[in-house]
Amino acid sequence: MLFNSGTFLQFFAAFLLLYYCVRNHLRARNVLILAASYLFYGWWDYRFLVLLLFSSLLDYAVGLGLGLSREDRARKSLLIASIAVNLTILGFFKYYDFFLESAVAVLARLDIPAHLPTLRIVLPVGISFYTFQSMSYAIDVYRRQIEPTPDLVDFLAFVSFFPQLVAGPIERAQHLLPQFKVSRRITRGMLEEGVWLCLWGLFKKVALADNLAPLVEMVYDHPRPGVAMTIAGTVAFGFQIYGDFSGYSDIARGTAQILGFDIMVNFNLPYGATNLREFWSRWHISLSTWLRDYLYIGLGGNRHGRGRMYRNLVITMVLGGLWHGAAWNFVLWGLWHGIGLAVHRWWTHLPFRSGAGVAAPQAAWRRGLAWLATMTFVFYGWLLFRAHSWDQIVALTGFLGDFILPPWAGSYLINLALFTLPLVAMQWWQFRRCDLLVALRLPPMPRAALTGSCLIAVCLFWEKAKVPFIYFQF
Amino acid sequence: MKSHCYAFTVKDLLPIVGLPLVPLGLFALFLHAGAALRILPPPVAALDTDRTILLHQATAGRQRHDAGTILIGDSSCLMDVSAPQLTTILTSHGAALNLGTLSYLDLNAFAALLRRYTAANPVRPDTVVLLMNPEALRRPAAEDYDLEALERFYSQTDDCPPTLSPLLCGLGVEIFRGRLLSRSVPIPLPGSFGGYYGFTHDLWRYLSSHQGSAVDPGRYDPAFAVGNAEYRLARTLESASAVFRAAVPAGTKLCVGITPLPESFVLANFGEVRGRLLAGWSQWLKADLALARLPATMPDHLFASPTHLNPAGARAYTTLLAAALQGEPSTRPQRPKLQ
Repeated sequence: MLFNSGTFLQFFAAFLLLYYCVRNHLRARNVLILAASYLFYGWWDYRFLVLLLFSSLLDYAVGLGLGLSREDRARKSLLIASIAVNLTILGFFKYYDFFLESAVAVLARLDIPAHLPTLRIVLPVGISFYTFQSMSYAIDVYRRQIEPTPDLVDFLAFVSFFPQLVAGPIERAQHLLPQFKVSRRITRGMLEEGVWLCLWGLFKKVALADNLAPLVEMVYDHPRPGVAMTIAGTVAFGFQIYGDFSGYSDIARGTAQILGFDIMVNFNLPYGATNLREFWSRWHISLSTWLRDYLYIGLGGNRHGRGRMYRNLVITMVLGGLWHGAAWNFVLWGLWHGIGLAVHRWWTHLPFRSGAGVAAPQAAWRRGLAWLATMTFVFYGWLLFRAHSWDQIVALTGFLGDFILPPWAGSYLINLALFTLPLVAMQWWQFRRCDLLVALRLPPMPRAALTGSCLIAVCLFWEKAKVPFIYFQF
Repeated sequence: MKSHCYAFTVKDLLPIVGLPLVPLGLFALFLHAGAALRILPPPVAALDTDRTILLHQATAGRQRHDAGTILIGDSSCLMDVSAPQLTTILTSHGAALNLGTLSYLDLNAFAALLRRYTAANPVRPDTVVLLMNPEALRRPAAEDYDLEALERFYSQTDDCPPTLSPLLCGLGVEIFRGRLLSRSVPIPLPGSFGGYYGFTHDLWRYLSSHQGSAVDPGRYDPAFAVGNAEYRLARTLESASAVFRAAVPAGTKLCVGITPLPESFVLANFGEVRGRLLAGWSQWLKADLALARLPATMPDHLFASPTHLNPAGARAYTTLLAAALQGEPSTRPQRPKLQ
């Protein structure tokens, strides 16, 4: 079920009615959330509910086992079993065909004919998200950061909570699970925030990202777009993926707020970052913190000298890239960011740069220059991310020196401006006020005009709302 | 244990949910009133490739051109013949204007298009060339959607397509798209047409500057071409041909032709089949000239798709068409030369 569909609006309206009916029964509420979440997920393909249930039951059982076991070796074995099974499932559904096809391609280059059977496996929606969420629970219990939950319904509802099930944010048990155990108080402020987040998220997705999608395709499917269009197409993609994914995260947070739940902020004005480290503290925060806490620190983090730290950064980002999809361009994108982060870390450790860290340089011109350099790096990364193949990456990079301009460049720029400027303007406003909810601070009339305008734009472009969210494929 | 409580009243809820609806309601009112009172410009719902071409040709058909040769027909007429090239070759025949459409319209619709053209242009054309592809000749009827789009354009009414919910139509979404969006914002075209023409506005400009002719930017791959070898004239074509004939102004020659198919796409006897089809159709149309000298097939490399020639193919075909028409003396009154 897509947030940007009439089906979801009907589902959510019916759910709210039932939610109101069970307001005096905590258990019934969690059962209702669980049932609705499974319906929400099963609407796409009910057969994959088995996978979701299995993954959840596994980590629930591992959590209980970790809670009962006092012996370190047994605890470690349980954790390894959980991680191995989770990663095997994820690996099979997401990466089996990819690795097989890559192996065949490598053998073919070596003139060794190979016919390995690919299975054309359908990727279960959201598998990367709920697997990571479920796994983090087992790891946190193992690290004794949280107590295992004995309540199966609470745990199943935590893993499958429909607002964030298929495209995050990847919640931590520490933050979300306790919310299922206590009574929630839904205030007027939460409702205001929830409605605004849903509307703004839909606006970003339906009115902006979905209109940028054909612009991106025009450039990335063009045999010779030239430098200006390659840059414009990559800028369009940078805003498309941001509008699409942050739009989903906003709707997820908004719907959760309306139910009285709090979900973490997943995007915090990433295109305002003045260095790469800051970018990753603002972009897909739930994944970057997951990778930091469970992978980077697991690999040793920065505890074993500079060299190991740089290596760990690169490994973490390469695996983070691979998490996005079974294709080499995602690996390359991860490598690009890994190297970028390592270079940035090296730069900040230079003697004359001590203490710079995440903090932005002070002078405005230096901040501007740092921002420009960071965005150039990030947006070239989007080119790697969006390209279909290595050949296309080479070709598009080559076009950066090709000064041809197609006759439709003017129309392209009109569209690009029209569908990016509202987002840029809002981000600028939020950035200046250091407040993601700055729109809610407006007096009633201007706020009504703003929310009304967003609603109008959503309605005007709603027909295109069948476009699925980009991150569904991850 | 209590599950959750609502720390607000219904009175609190109303401004949160209700206030954004006020601008939406006002906007809907503005659109409907603007359309009803004709404050908004008339709809030109050129929102995709098909409709941009259809509405461009319909618009061109209502404007004054005083063309000597009118090309009319299905998408093969649009793509296979270059009107500017034909104008250059047939200098004595006056300018050529292509009114072919990408959407498949039937001969009744083409007749209506031609009638509107003759009403808007007092100087009657010398020749009307009707060109259709063998694939189109067996189709019993046009797509209702395309005919409705054309009708709505003529009657200046707004389109509520089935893909749009009645609620959104009620909010005036179709009025906004047809009367404001399509006019003010170029809309990207999908696929190979997008790569070649770019946006709706660019395609419109291209058609205007090329006298209504277009180019199919695709590439024909015989390996993926599938078709039905049974070529015939649809029964409905006979009555529609009579309607079309009646729309051709008196004194204007009607030439009819069947556009070519790729050599590898058809059976060996296709030339004969095509000859029979052309003879039969020409009889129904009471055509002045059946363009039998035009080739029934052309080499595969000159095609963009099984039914459309590529630019090189269109150049070659236009030359052949010009040669076929050149033999025919012009009946058009010569304009006095300016001293």
